[in-house]
Amino acid sequence: MGHTSLDKIKALQKNPANVRNLCILAHVDHGKTTLADSLVASNGIISSRLAGKLRYLDSREDEQIRGITMKSSAISLHYASGEKDYLINLIDSPGHVDFSSEVSTAVRLCDGAIVIVDAVEGVCPQTQAVLRQAWLENIRPVLVINKIDRLIMELKLTSQEAYTHLQKILEQVNAVTGSLFTSKVLEDRAVKEERAEEDKEEGDIEPAECPGLEQVYDWSAGLEDSDDSQLYFSPDQGNVVFASAIDGWGFSIQQFAQIHSQRMGIRAEVLLKTLWGDFYLNAKAKKIMKGAHAKGKKPLFVQLVLDNIWSLYDAVVTRRDKEKIEKMMMSLGVKVMTRDSRHSDPKVLLSAICSQWLPVSQAVLFMVCDKLPSPLDMTSERIERLMSVGARRFHSLPLQTQELKTAFMQCSSDDTAPVIVFVSKMFMVDAKALPQNKQRPLTQEEMAQRRELARQRHTERLAAIQQTESGEGNGQSGSTTPATTPGGDNTIGKVSQEEEEKETFVAFARVYSGVVRRGQKVFVMGPKYDPAQGLRMVRIVSACLPPVPHLACCTMDSLYLLMGRELEELEEVPSGNVLGIGGLEECVLKSATLSTSPALPPFIPLNFEATPIVRVAIEPKHPSEMPKLVRGMRLLNQADPCAEVLIQETGEHVLVTAGEVHLQRCLDDLRERFAKIEISASKPIIPFRETVIRPPKVDMVNEDLGKQQKVAVIHQVKESDTLHLDPSGLVTLTTPNRQATVGVRAIPLPEEVTLLLEGSADLIRTLEQAGQAQREGRTLDMSTWTLDALMVLKSRLEVLLQGRKWRNAVDRIWAFGPRRYGPNILLNSVEGYQRPSVWHCLEREKGEKEGGAKAEASAIRDFDNSVVSGFQLATLSGPMCEEPLMGVCFSVERWDMNFPTQRTHLDSVTEEDSNSLDASVSESPGEAAGHPEASGKAGGAVDCYGPFSGQLIAAVKEACRHAFQAKPQRLMAAMYTCEIMATAEVLGRVYGVLGKREGRVLQEEMKEGTEMFIIKAVLPVAESFGFADEIRKRTSGLASPQLVFSHWEVISSDPSWVPTTEEEYLHFGVKADSANQALKYMNGVRRRKGLYVEEKIVEHGEKQRTLSKNK
Amino acid sequence: MSIFTPTNQIRLTNVAVVRMKKGGKRFEIACYKNKVMSWRSGAEKDLDEVLQTSSVFNNVSKGQVAKKDDLSKAFGTDDLTEICKEILAKGELQVSDKERQSQLETSFRDIATIVAEKCVNPETKRPYTVNLIERAMKDIHYSVKANKSTKQQALEVIRQLKDSIEIQRAHMRLRLVLPAKEGKRLKEKLKPLLKVVESEDFDDQLEMVCLVDPGCFREIDELIRCETKGKGSLEVLSLKDVEEGDERLE
Repeated sequence: MGHTSLDKIKALQKNPANVRNLCILAHVDHGKTTLADSLVASNGIISSRLAGKLRYLDSREDEQIRGITMKSSAISLHYASGEKDYLINLIDSPGHVDFSSEVSTAVRLCDGAIVIVDAVEGVCPQTQAVLRQAWLENIRPVLVINKIDRLIMELKLTSQEAYTHLQKILEQVNAVTGSLFTSKVLEDRAVKEERAEEDKEEGDIEPAECPGLEQVYDWSAGLEDSDDSQLYFSPDQGNVVFASAIDGWGFSIQQFAQIHSQRMGIRAEVLLKTLWGDFYLNAKAKKIMKGAHAKGKKPLFVQLVLDNIWSLYDAVVTRRDKEKIEKMMMSLGVKVMTRDSRHSDPKVLLSAICSQWLPVSQAVLFMVCDKLPSPLDMTSERIERLMSVGARRFHSLPLQTQELKTAFMQCSSDDTAPVIVFVSKMFMVDAKALPQNKQRPLTQEEMAQRRELARQRHTERLAAIQQTESGEGNGQSGSTTPATTPGGDNTIGKVSQEEEEKETFVAFARVYSGVVRRGQKVFVMGPKYDPAQGLRMVRIVSACLPPVPHLACCTMDSLYLLMGRELEELEEVPSGNVLGIGGLEECVLKSATLSTSPALPPFIPLNFEATPIVRVAIEPKHPSEMPKLVRGMRLLNQADPCAEVLIQETGEHVLVTAGEVHLQRCLDDLRERFAKIEISASKPIIPFRETVIRPPKVDMVNEDLGKQQKVAVIHQVKESDTLHLDPSGLVTLTTPNRQATVGVRAIPLPEEVTLLLEGSADLIRTLEQAGQAQREGRTLDMSTWTLDALMVLKSRLEVLLQGRKWRNAVDRIWAFGPRRYGPNILLNSVEGYQRPSVWHCLEREKGEKEGGAKAEASAIRDFDNSVVSGFQLATLSGPMCEEPLMGVCFSVERWDMNFPTQRTHLDSVTEEDSNSLDASVSESPGEAAGHPEASGKAGGAVDCYGPFSGQLIAAVKEACRHAFQAKPQRLMAAMYTCEIMATAEVLGRVYGVLGKREGRVLQEEMKEGTEMFIIKAVLPVAESFGFADEIRKRTSGLASPQLVFSHWEVISSDPSWVPTTEEEYLHFGVKADSANQALKYMNGVRRRKGLYVEEKIVEHGEKQRTLSKNK
Repeated sequence: MSIFTPTNQIRLTNVAVVRMKKGGKRFEIACYKNKVMSWRSGAEKDLDEVLQTSSVFNNVSKGQVAKKDDLSKAFGTDDLTEICKEILAKGELQVSDKERQSQLETSFRDIATIVAEKCVNPETKRPYTVNLIERAMKDIHYSVKANKSTKQQALEVIRQLKDSIEIQRAHMRLRLVLPAKEGKRLKEKLKPLLKVVESEDFDDQLEMVCLVDPGCFREIDELIRCETKGKGSLEVLSLKDVEEGDERLE
């Protein structure tokens, strides 16, 4: 069990038949890393004494502190079974839900998996999840039932009870597998019904194992027909190991069958079949009989296997019977060092005995080599699945691509074979750990020498630094003279740069075909790369860097053998092995497919169990470190398969992670590795919208309000001489210089209209651009498609805006807002004032009204623009909490202009326009009558952008705000739709959490073939912070939500509501501060923005701290 | 003369005095601390929560109650509640600690919000968050002046912040249309005011779309109006030139 040399591993890599790529999967804390430790110890990398305590593969500091694995890491082990030497590429994966993305990256690279189940806890949520993942990736699992010592020591079960317990666990695991199988069969059947007859063979799972599946038509019959017996875990098939990794023992029943067959003279094959199951040994007849349970006999497994272990534990740990231990050790043929046997902790002795008697690594590794497939045995179905991206089926891929399948199957390491590599993740490695920099002491010595010289010779110093930078071959580079290297004179800058680049990315990858060599050039296929297109283009260009979309070319600078914390440099890696590749950080983001053949399609994206849902906003502690943060976030995004980072329109840097623990790790990484600055994470800013509604018919306690306009009265603003509010909600406002008066009314838009406007924002924007261009006398070419779409939009608006109030409304639309394309409308209801509507450009395109357009164009925009600007400003920030408006129509019903000296440029509006204005002016006779209509085109134009336009903008804005406040105003909250998968037993708790957070369940249905329920609900974004975590905690991880933004919803309560009637006082109390959700949100936003919040500074005057002494 | 005996003394603690001079006399009322501002802003509606006692004094600290005659002479009524309300509304007071603190806090926030709204990170063309601005303001030890408007102070803050972080006013996008005659001449004059010229089109008239600092708007406007005698025009295309939509970092 000595340390396996690198050469040995290199030799082993060349024989794919004896390579096993496998990963360890389990629920959190079921002992994955401990088992991995024992396996690592078997290769002499760590001491077997420390196995289980060291957690060798948990190389991160926080992993060690928290005691959970957070990343998948690989190690290559050597195992000799009889004549054969095996190379085992073991990948340890994390068990926590938050890191299930890491599991996905591990599973993709493997052919088999060791699934570990805790003997006490049984099947846990993550066990189900990993089984599903293994199933989806089509890799074969073997089972390890771990922590059997807990049954003995903690639960104090008898061996008989333990046997039934183990049976139950096995049943549970098989039930999960069974349900996966069932749903697969059902799915296949559904797919098959859709697909044509010829594709029938696509549906079966593993052709060798499920021959009956092709005939599946009737689902009940289908289940019976399809043979699933091979799928299940059963000790007699040899795919189950019982173990206690912490004590270092483990066995499969083969081992015991062999031991006992010699002792009892029963054939090993017979024993193998009967050792697990309802069999017992008839001592008299020396026969194995069936029906142990019915006859009350000890099953064979208990008698021959468990009893031995139990008595060992009893002797060593419980009773500490020295003599008995001696005897047992004799009979087992185990020799223990005196140091161990004298140790005061009996566990030490126990593990010393066990690890010699039934070493866990032997049992597990034997099973793995025996039962799990080698890279050569990859099923064609799995290959086809990997290669068919999206909905494309394998057969539809180009012929050359289909040919690559054989390359997969052969997995040959010939030079001729195309290289196919899949990178499942990128991880960061300290440059110090890279093998190039391994000979650190020597290099440093050299460096010191050189530095000595460099003090005299400037160029040499430069060169020395250069050499450390270009890490490769540093060890040997001592002889090279550095005089030739060029460089600037800012050495300090270079040194600091070198320090920054201490960390490099290494790709976590596997070779599926061909031989990978250092320095080899390969294509990198992006996820959207289409081989058919690529092939065509490459044929034409045939250069190394073809301009094919989603295809890049890169060099593999260095190859590594992954040995847990360490990396060993390799020259070449043959097919079927897991490896690390350096120098890809430029062209690979998170995962990628690499190949020498452009015909290869990118592999299907990794299947993530958990989608990122926990959102936080991240800021640097010192604002000047912003660029560092952005750089760090980019690196984090590359290094973490599951984290997402984005910059929002508000300027927030948002990090989205899979869960709280994952978030914590990301933040630590950012702080310590990627950004290296202090950062703070906070709740992200939650957007709201403001709107008005029709006056409600009932009050808060469902009393009929009748016809009274109570709401309008409440918002009665103090009237000044310039502002007038009439009870129907029309607000008239005069500018400070008394030259213009506008009357505005706010009307709620129907919900459908708001939706429509929101959905067609882009369209409206083009419309606006076209209108603008036209006003300038230019034409903007719009495609016929856009024109059609606009016509459709217009007609749909006409359909939706029906009724007396909205008569001709669509043609009278003046503008949209905010930003000219939002979901609010400015309506021109000024009597007699006709202006071209926003649809104007459409009509012109149709050839109508062409003559007048130009003449009008220059004139209208004089003051028209000010009104629109005022409207835009008003809709951009509402009066409630300065958030944008939504679904509000402002109808301008009066617009009078009068100038003390001259009636100006409005005359320059076309004839009808000036007429209309005359009419409107005469409406306010007191001011207008005295002034003759002196025309002065030029004078008006001068004033057009002067201070008066500013006053008009402000007046329109204020009028809109007041009009808005005259109506019952409401907040709109952003809503998530939330899809929750939960099992039946936690449904109640899911509903509880949803209810507490103002969520509303829309529907709930059971997923076919499983016992999972799918709940659809909506949840305000404002309440979503911490939601995912809470739901997970409350349901012990059995329910996992997914949140997607869906729509805006009006919060029904009025933020400015106070109880007024007797009933309301009774119901809500005098203050009613508990019930009003909208007020809470509004005040939150106002406080954040530094706006005035109507709140008392101290609640009770008398309950303040007394400052003066009370005499 | 009032008699001071320990038995009929009522001692008030935590007094905030509101004074008013009317009719040549000084009137004072005794209020609770931190309450008067809430009353004035309308947040506190219960008068008893504001007033320690409904009597009006000539001098609160000496306990001299105002005479009825003086009151009715000065206020025209002897309804103490009405008089108290008037004094509360119009009298002068010393702002209490919490009131001042919350005032300063609000205006600090307000300034930060204005800065965040007006400014962008010139590298990304994206706004900074209010939080970040607040922190930066604290870093440069900016102290709020209670007697200056928040807008004024925000402009001041922007200037000071430029030293510590990458920040600038978000540019305005303008379209200038100048008649051909003056075009060339005017362009030279405008040049120092424009930050970026996005497009330039010289046919029968010069048309430019450009980004300018919002501070220069008035100047440009003036220049165009005066120089072209009303023939040139200027149009605001957008008030703030910022990146829209979310961006995924990759």
